[in-house]
Amino acid sequence: MKLLTHNMLTSHVKGVTKGYPLLIKATEVKVNEVDFNPQFVTRMIPKLEWSALVQAAEELGQRQDLPDELVPEYENNEEFLKKVHRVLLEVEVIEGCLRCPESGREFPISRGIPNMLLNEDEV
Amino acid sequence: MTDARSEASLVRYYCTAGNGMEHFLIDEVKLKLAAEDVCQMPGKVLFSSSVGINRVSELKAAERLFLLLKQDLPVQLSANTNPAKAASVLQSRVLGDKNHWTSAVMTWRHLQGELEGRRTTVNPPSTALGVTMKSEEGSRIEEQRGKEEEKCDEEKKSKRETAQRGETSSGETCGAEAQILEKKRKRDSEEKESNSDKNAEKQRTSEKERKRQYKEDDEEGRRKVMELNSCGQNGKRETISDTDLYSRGSVCVNATPEQDHNLERSCMKMDDMAKDFAVKNVEHEKTTGGRDKTLLQPSRIKPEPSSPDPFSFRISCKCTGSLSRYFNTQEVSRVIGVGLSKLLGWKTDLKNPQLEVNVNLSDDHCLLGIPLTRLPLAHRSYIKTTGLRSTVAWAMASLAQIQPGFRVVDPMCGVGTILIEAAQEHKASHFLGMDIDDGQLQKANENVEFAVLGNRIHLLKASSMMLPLPNASVDAVVCDLPFGRKFGTKTTMAANLPLILTEMERILCIGGTLVLLLSPQLSCLLKKLLAQKDSGPPSNQETKPQTGIQDCPSPSPSCSKQQTFQILQGVKSPLTQKTDPRSVLQHSLPPPLSALKHQATLRVSLDSMESVRHDVHCACSSALEAMLELQWVRAGIF
Repeated sequence: MKLLTHNMLTSHVKGVTKGYPLLIKATEVKVNEVDFNPQFVTRMIPKLEWSALVQAAEELGQRQDLPDELVPEYENNEEFLKKVHRVLLEVEVIEGCLRCPESGREFPISRGIPNMLLNEDEV
Repeated sequence: MTDARSEASLVRYYCTAGNGMEHFLIDEVKLKLAAEDVCQMPGKVLFSSSVGINRVSELKAAERLFLLLKQDLPVQLSANTNPAKAASVLQSRVLGDKNHWTSAVMTWRHLQGELEGRRTTVNPPSTALGVTMKSEEGSRIEEQRGKEEEKCDEEKKSKRETAQRGETSSGETCGAEAQILEKKRKRDSEEKESNSDKNAEKQRTSEKERKRQYKEDDEEGRRKVMELNSCGQNGKRETISDTDLYSRGSVCVNATPEQDHNLERSCMKMDDMAKDFAVKNVEHEKTTGGRDKTLLQPSRIKPEPSSPDPFSFRISCKCTGSLSRYFNTQEVSRVIGVGLSKLLGWKTDLKNPQLEVNVNLSDDHCLLGIPLTRLPLAHRSYIKTTGLRSTVAWAMASLAQIQPGFRVVDPMCGVGTILIEAAQEHKASHFLGMDIDDGQLQKANENVEFAVLGNRIHLLKASSMMLPLPNASVDAVVCDLPFGRKFGTKTTMAANLPLILTEMERILCIGGTLVLLLSPQLSCLLKKLLAQKDSGPPSNQETKPQTGIQDCPSPSPSCSKQQTFQILQGVKSPLTQKTDPRSVLQHSLPPPLSALKHQATLRVSLDSMESVRHDVHCACSSALEAMLELQWVRAGIF
């Protein structure tokens, strides 16, 4: 699971009103080099929940010097875009789990794919 | 290598397209190839373009690509024409002028050369070749053997295989290439057998083509070739032409500055070779001589008959309408075949022709073409496990109107075909695939890795009835709903459809697009659901463009085109809806689908409409039950 995807994921366990952002408990994290596409990163940034991204990176120990706030005029700031690129696409949780902040329900991540399925009684 | 030449000249092509795919293809050729003079007939799109063949062959909505030989008014015979007369009328009408044929074949060869050029520059085998060419001659021979063996295998997999394999395994240099060919062959074998036969042949001819270019300047070589050719012609012609085919293929491997050595060397062997031929001709009268390596080895430099080449060809014919009352398809093929032999001196060869001529005769048109690519265009080299038909998947992605920065979700992605087709075209969008089945997800994961799209396509396991995403968070949802043919059952899907739709609508942002592939039954159900909940007038509903496209006998592309556009424009005009899905929505509530506006229903066939095959029998095997509806709905809440 890459953090770009994590940034979208919510928990919909019954009764939960704000199952976001999911906490990450990783047992295996990989950092793969991925081709840098500045256009992609630039377009994705406005869609991100920035604080959730920073928090997720922090949890994985991959934050490095990612700022608390979104940098103004990031479009032309290649250095910044590369940092975001790294966090969004290169850092990948292979094994571990995601934890609903409200209900505590855990969603396992195995072989890089999070399992967000709920049991019938949780719906 | 010959791009400059091709850019200059306008070439007329036609493509076959699946049922309902014609207008997608029309849009695509106009957009990507700046095509001119675009017109369509059921299952086909004709166009002219000056863009290089390599880009033409990257069309996504097409099944197969042909060079147009001739497009003419339908051949009509009056009711009391006698059969002999009918045959001669048919011949003269279909064949026409000799020069027309020769120039078409020139174009065909040129295009083949260009395609071949790309194949060798792009494919890994070419690098393997580059290395071996520098090595000793001996190893080159080994390589050729390997290559020839591969080709032979494609044709006759059983015979001699084991023996040859043992021998060629010593040729280590060809290992890499052999592996790749092996892979390719595996893929090929998934195609129909007849198809792969033809494909194999085409590969050979195109290689021959490349070699021809190198050889053109080589006067000395040419003379020898002529001598050889003449001695060869004393023997059985058929056998030799086959040998030519093979040996040409092998020479191209050696088409390097070192070629001179080869020529000298083989010149010395010339006498032996002639003997070889004599013997072989007796032994293998009807078999394809090229399979024998001892024969192949020396004959490597031999081919290159003087122009005009005695081409071997085959007619693939499809004949419908009034004409089919006079002739069956076999008879038409024979009449045209015989005529063509007479006109140009070509030879018929049903099994391994250098050239295939496709003839389509109906009450509406007379269309002749030469296939240009070995594999159908619909075959995607970047997809490992195929799911949904690639052309339909591409069409769905194109309907989603994906823009840079879009987030696109397929909540039942299966092996991920739609997302892969979409991600190929859209480099700055994020694609999220979900499925509840681990096996499917695993295949999807492999597919994504194989297509090197892991940075844009991400996967997770989730239920389409409970998507783990926030409200209004994605820009497009595309989905091939399982409708009971392969996965799921009709009843459960029908029962779950409202909930699934609610979820899709919930995650869509305002103005987002939903593209669904459904069975006709589910499509009806969906429309009912929408109609029930829809407070506004059902604008744009049921504009059924396919009636205009498919059933219209006269090819009037502009008309059907306009129809499609009308639908598109309908989408963009804001439709006033009061309800905000975000406030209303809780997961288990009955679906307030009011936010979804039905835009268009398109009918596509999921099977390839490859009815234009060379053999007579399979006229229309494409199944009707594969007709599906493509539903295009958009959340238009303001």
